[in-house]
Amino acid sequence: MNELFQDLVVQMLIGISTGLILALVASGLTLIFGIMDVVNFAHGELFMLGAYMGWVFFTMTGSFWLGLAAAALCVFVFGLFMQRSALRSLIGSDPLTTILATFGISLVLQTAAIWIWGPTVRRVGAAVTGHVAVFHLQFPVYRFLVAVLSLAIITGLWLFMHRGRFGLWIRATTQDRQMALAMGIPVPLVHTVVFGIGAAMAAASGYLYAPILGVDPTMGVNNILRAFIIVVVGGMGNLWGSVLAAVFIGILEALAVIWVSPAIAVVFSFAALIVTLLVRPTGLFVATPR
Amino acid sequence: MLKLQDVQAFYGKSHVLHGVNMEVGGGQVVGLLGRNGVGKSTTLKAIMGLVAVQGGSITFSGHDLRRQNPYRIPRLGIGYVPEDRRIFPRLTVLDNLRTGFDRPGASGARTQELLEQAYTSFPRLKERRQQVAGTLSGGEQQMLAIARAMMLDPQIILLDEPTEGLMPRLVGQIREIIDVLRQTNVSILLVEQNVPMTLAVSDRVYLMERGAIRHEAPAGELSVDDAVIHKYLGV
Repeated sequence: MNELFQDLVVQMLIGISTGLILALVASGLTLIFGIMDVVNFAHGELFMLGAYMGWVFFTMTGSFWLGLAAAALCVFVFGLFMQRSALRSLIGSDPLTTILATFGISLVLQTAAIWIWGPTVRRVGAAVTGHVAVFHLQFPVYRFLVAVLSLAIITGLWLFMHRGRFGLWIRATTQDRQMALAMGIPVPLVHTVVFGIGAAMAAASGYLYAPILGVDPTMGVNNILRAFIIVVVGGMGNLWGSVLAAVFIGILEALAVIWVSPAIAVVFSFAALIVTLLVRPTGLFVATPR
Repeated sequence: MLKLQDVQAFYGKSHVLHGVNMEVGGGQVVGLLGRNGVGKSTTLKAIMGLVAVQGGSITFSGHDLRRQNPYRIPRLGIGYVPEDRRIFPRLTVLDNLRTGFDRPGASGARTQELLEQAYTSFPRLKERRQQVAGTLSGGEQQMLAIARAMMLDPQIILLDEPTEGLMPRLVGQIREIIDVLRQTNVSILLVEQNVPMTLAVSDRVYLMERGAIRHEAPAGELSVDDAVIHKYLGV
């Protein structure tokens, strides 16, 4: 079989798995933006914090799964605290104030991570270590696991939002905050919990990425940019739009790597971003612009 | 039951309510008439805690509403139907209704009763309960906004221009639902531009101008061509 075709298939697989991890970060970001109009510039640091929390519990217990649960739970609680203390009183005011607030928090968290854990890259062992042969390449099974887990978590979020009272509250608040208040929905509580959920998703994503990337204080900054691109391409506030956009961007970059160096591949994501902003500023994957 | 005393409210720097005084008793239908932009809708938003009230008092059955968190106000038994309907457009009809009845402390039996009552009053909503609310016609959206407020099992409903932009047949339907609510002892504070309809359904009316109440009278004592109606409404 032709070598280019093999490369294409392998890179598609890598693209899809990377895309789904990014989808997990991006869906938290888009969820938070959709409901409270906060562009969370600290999202990358929540991703990084999740990886560290997971690493701490992973080294303590040796269990990958306990690490994942601890990462999500600790950062969920941190997210609640962060929203309640720094963001709640800013919601509804000029978007610039929340951008500055979250940007400030991101700097604090990054510096705190360097201070506590130092600049060394920490390692988390993958939950599964095998490889499957895809043509000439040994493809790590862990990447499949991560893709499936990411999709499962996002589906879980979707189910949570479409079953039960709290999910209804989230959807109603996203659509009309004032009217949600006027129907007796505790909007401030909904905001805080959604922020916590978004933070936990970023954390889970950071930890799932850790065996592939390693854990260091700058991993948030290095990866969040693509999450922002995905959120814009997928349509701000649109959950499945973000998932599709994430897979799209993942595949795009992975395929670009066949011809250009990985460092340049990110240019293709920017090209997608620029085309989106020019052609459909509300997002490529939005059926009807809001 | 609901009492506003000297209520002052602002939108940013513009002073919108200049000391509003009014009262709605249990089981009463009270009309609030006035031209566009005199502060009628703002009065309702002030009651719901959706605009910043800077002075005066708003009490409802012994509760000081100014001290309540806005989301607790509807739970005290105040339903709100805003002028632009404000249904949740991407929720189904049933989910829109659920935002009212699916709340902590609501009893299942009472909820069923309220839902039956709403479906009896608005059979279209029952037919379309699984449809996404944004795809309903304007009239159906108005019905949904009223039904949604009824799901809170309220003691009073604040209705903001429910007949605006509706066909005459639907205006008749709004009148009917106001009568149904009155029979079930729900009070109504009705903001309207439709003078004949308001005088016909209300017990009492207030006339509002430039952010304050200028005149108050039993609805039966006013007619569409009274001088006072001309003065404040220019019809």
